[in-house]
Amino acid sequence: MRVTKGAKIIAGTAVLALGLVACGSATSTGETSAAGAVRMKIGEPQKLFYPGETVESEGVEVLAAIFAPLVKYDEDKKLVEYIADSIKTSDNRVWTIKIKSGFTWHNGDPLTAQNYVDAWNYSANQENAQSANYFFARIQGYEDLNPGEGKTPTAKGMSGLKVIDEETFQVTLTQPFSQFSTMLGYTAFYPLPEVAFGDDGKITEEYAKKPIGQGLFKIDAPYNKGSDQAISLTRYEGFKGEQPKFDKLQFKIYNSAETAWNDLQGGNIDIQEQLPPSAISTAKAELGDRYIDQEDAGIGYIGFPLISTDQYKDVRIRRAISMAIDRKTITETVFSGTRAPADDFINPLLEGYRPGACTACVYDPAAAKELYVEAGGPRTLELGSNMDNGHKEWIEAVANNLRSNLGIEVKVSPYEKFQQILDELDAKTYTGMFRSGWIIDYPSAENYLTPIFSTGAIKTGSNYAGYSNPDFDRLVAKGDSASSAEQSLKFYKKADDLLLRDLPMIPVFYYRMNAAFSEHVKGVKINLLNQVEWVSVEKAV
Amino acid sequence: MSDTVTPRSRRARHAKSPLRSPGGPSRGGPAAGTAGRPASLWNDAWHDLRRRPLFIAAAVLIGVILLMAAVPQLFTSVDPYDATSCRLGDARQAPSAAHWFGTDNQGCDTLARTVYGARNSLLVGLSTTVVTVLVGGLLGLVAGFRGGLPDALLSRVTEIFFAIPSVLGALLILAVFRTGTVWTVMLALAVLAWPMTFRIMRAAVITAKGQDYVVAARALGASGRRLMFRHILPNAITSVIVVATVNLGVFIAAEAGLSFLGVGIQSPEISWGLMIADARPRFLEAASPLLFPAAFLSLTVLAFIMLGDAVRDALDPKLR
Amino acid sequence: MIRETPAELYERLVLGRYIIRRLLQAIPVLLGATLLIYAVVFALPGDPIASMYGEKRMDPDIVAIVREQYHLNDPFIVQYWYYISGVFQGNLGITFSNVPVSEIIAGKFQVTLNLAFTALVMEAVIGVGLGFYAALRRGRAQDTMILASTLVLISIPTLVTGFVLQLVLGVKLKQSTGIEVFPIAGVSDGWRSYLLPAFVLAGTSIAYLTRLTRTSLAEILRADYIRTAVAKGMPRRRVVGRHALRNALIPLVTYLGADLGTLMGGAVITETIFNLPGIGQELFRSVYERQQPVVVGIVTLLVLVYILANLIVDLLYAVLDPRIRYE
Repeated sequence: MRVTKGAKIIAGTAVLALGLVACGSATSTGETSAAGAVRMKIGEPQKLFYPGETVESEGVEVLAAIFAPLVKYDEDKKLVEYIADSIKTSDNRVWTIKIKSGFTWHNGDPLTAQNYVDAWNYSANQENAQSANYFFARIQGYEDLNPGEGKTPTAKGMSGLKVIDEETFQVTLTQPFSQFSTMLGYTAFYPLPEVAFGDDGKITEEYAKKPIGQGLFKIDAPYNKGSDQAISLTRYEGFKGEQPKFDKLQFKIYNSAETAWNDLQGGNIDIQEQLPPSAISTAKAELGDRYIDQEDAGIGYIGFPLISTDQYKDVRIRRAISMAIDRKTITETVFSGTRAPADDFINPLLEGYRPGACTACVYDPAAAKELYVEAGGPRTLELGSNMDNGHKEWIEAVANNLRSNLGIEVKVSPYEKFQQILDELDAKTYTGMFRSGWIIDYPSAENYLTPIFSTGAIKTGSNYAGYSNPDFDRLVAKGDSASSAEQSLKFYKKADDLLLRDLPMIPVFYYRMNAAFSEHVKGVKINLLNQVEWVSVEKAV
Repeated sequence: MSDTVTPRSRRARHAKSPLRSPGGPSRGGPAAGTAGRPASLWNDAWHDLRRRPLFIAAAVLIGVILLMAAVPQLFTSVDPYDATSCRLGDARQAPSAAHWFGTDNQGCDTLARTVYGARNSLLVGLSTTVVTVLVGGLLGLVAGFRGGLPDALLSRVTEIFFAIPSVLGALLILAVFRTGTVWTVMLALAVLAWPMTFRIMRAAVITAKGQDYVVAARALGASGRRLMFRHILPNAITSVIVVATVNLGVFIAAEAGLSFLGVGIQSPEISWGLMIADARPRFLEAASPLLFPAAFLSLTVLAFIMLGDAVRDALDPKLR
Repeated sequence: MIRETPAELYERLVLGRYIIRRLLQAIPVLLGATLLIYAVVFALPGDPIASMYGEKRMDPDIVAIVREQYHLNDPFIVQYWYYISGVFQGNLGITFSNVPVSEIIAGKFQVTLNLAFTALVMEAVIGVGLGFYAALRRGRAQDTMILASTLVLISIPTLVTGFVLQLVLGVKLKQSTGIEVFPIAGVSDGWRSYLLPAFVLAGTSIAYLTRLTRTSLAEILRADYIRTAVAKGMPRRRVVGRHALRNALIPLVTYLGADLGTLMGGAVITETIFNLPGIGQELFRSVYERQQPVVVGIVTLLVLVYILANLIVDLLYAVLDPRIRYE
């Protein structure tokens, strides 16, 4: 047949349609009414906003603007009550928490003690499979909600949670834990309003897209993960505490720190936490006091799989490896100062840190080699690491250090995700050294000890080295039940001494918080949990 | 694309039924008989090639790169596989007398790494080409020659492969292997590239099958196998060779791309793509660790594509 | 109402049947491609659920419960069945963080589509323009120059053009003029953000198209009917514009149409260099995060684009060349 008009029309429309698809709807990415807003860079939140499901920094940053925690940490890193009126205990086991009156949810409902109990019970219940589940493991009755896979929880809530009155509730722990109150500033301990729950008792998707909080800002529109490139918030005028000095806040989603840094220089965003190493020299030179360089609670380690191999059993080998790493040059060259050389297991951000405590962290290639040979260290070592998030560069640098300073072969084993190393360590298919890191869940020296090095953390915690030392466990427990903060710290330091002697992992560097802000804002402060203190931020013009 | 516009494939399918004569020697089919040495297509092509500046330039370039891959020590005294040659304190230095191409983020000599990187690039390029030509070529020969069900089946299968975007496909395949090596990259590229060779071979075989000399050879009683390998293949293979030469360059570029994305060849092996990826985060502070491997990569690809161009012109005088 | 002659009606029916047949033919391709991709994704090592929890060890019980929710413990073919039956109901599934895949892809798809179309336009304008010019100057210095530069353009990998242009046209130009002419990363500058990446993406295709235009036009200019037209005294401009160009367009349209799929599928490196949040980057990230539904969803979409683009090309082909008939 000859081609008819029909064919022409069809072909024409098809081309047109494709063309239209290409031009249309380029603006519908959630960037509405951003005029005059304070704009902050975040990465894409991994999930929708369930407080008990959000454990990663991007979602936490957003939630921190929408919710207000029970406690905060002031500039001297001291705990201060925020929504809580008082937090009392006599034995570190039974805690009574009273909230200040007059606080309301963004929909006007009053904030009650019941809201906390509901939220915590929800997150702790295995049937809801919340990521923050483990935060509640110290509370009495947690076991009933977590009987294990394939079994149904035997209770509706934890027996350790009890509402006393509208504004007071009581928390009973299984063991005394002096640091419990420091945990309460964390996302997992936010309350949830009644409207969050659907008829089936689960948090509705509608709520997770547009969470109703009781904090400084309310979210303007439901967040569509994947398509929205910005999350817009408006000041909640009904907030009873001190209010922020500007009324619009916008989180802009970037998938690369470099792009965001570009935009910050171009004035398209106002605040960026965690600048890329390549930006540091420019930021220092050009931003002046709009560049923030402060301590951060994160630590980077190299760990030894003590549990699955005897290769590193001799502590001299671990010491030699530690001494062969040139921490100073690595933090200066590879990280351009976005990390600092580590010299203790407790981060300098927190009380309990002792500068220079780690004698094995001093770079001494000659002594390292001598010690390594003396201990008969293996000729070949393996060093496994996930290569995302800029880990590749420093792992390569460490490998080069070990190769040239110890005169051995080092095989770097690349992994895509840290979880894959964990899987292989568990299965004992990988038995080399591995990179690891820790960012605190709550600001206490104890958080650098128990979750990473206690015997109990081998199975369920982050004790990936499999370090097990009864003396260590005992000292930490003593600290947990000590009557005063000073007493607790004394025991924690003693436990730290054991780690410094045994080196189940070697601390390599401390993270630093390198942030920057634009000329449009001033008074940007970042707290212990790496969240911006919105109350102190002001617009400059 | 599909069988819609060209009636050729259909016609070809009808034109099967090879006449089999019982073991006749059939020496001297027209094509085979006149293929006296001096006048053959290949001799002609070679004669022609030698005078082309494009070919000479490509050959010289390829010669140098091959030498680099085989004996890198000729070009640099530094062994980049030796960790002691890198000093982190010297990272990101500009080109100087000590380091002609400067140093990279780990303080390693960029020149040495660039030179040593040639080997993996060439290995991937060559091995992938060989595999695709063998697999795609053989299957294409069979499909084109036999027609019928095998042809229909194979053609459908290649359609599926064509529909999958090759970079993304290779990325996926490589993600299955935890560590990328020359051989996994080769495998990933070959899996997605053989249908191309298949199609070219198949089309060329079908065309050749209809040529007078093949019909004549068949009429004279040449066996199927003899027809296929002696009469059809030598003519059909020219277009495959041209494409294979160009593809060699394309594969080298693809390897660099995949290594750049982090799924290709892995450190401590050296690859230009990997070097580019490593230099990238600090690109704006120190460009030389990125630009030098990039330049070598481009020159290598250019050399093979020039060679392909020259060979095509020589083998297919019609296109001149 | 348009009156149709019986012949036209007949042709319309044939055309309709042709399109339907082509779409039916596409089904096995779609099934085969998704099955293949699903199998590869299934074979990826690592647990998609566990890797969602960053670097903390998750309670294995919780992980198991989540796995159950997403049918991850079922055999491969059962999982594929869940997936593909969803696809035929227009549902691309949900991610392991409980977000519909279609929502994840929509915005990213837009970015890649914008990029590919900008590239396609550049290709058409620059490629055809240069090829046209070269064909008219065949054998002269300009022609040789253009041919040589296409060779270079074909040879330099996207990886290299990307970084070099980013450095020269993005950074250095901004440093020397103080104005950001070409944004080097992200999509926050609207259409301007796409200029540099689109050119990088289109590079090789521009070169091919230049060569194709040149060859195709040159061949036609030598054809008898053109010579006749010239001999009859028709002005050269008219000969080239009316007769030659239309015929020369046929292979070009085919090339451009087929290239759309290639551009979209090949955009991952360009998107990575210029930090464009497109489907290439999304796919790359999803592979890392083991978000199988997203990976398969993106590839399925690209396969569909490929199939549709080819269908359109074949239809256009027929429009441009009246001799072609549908079978």
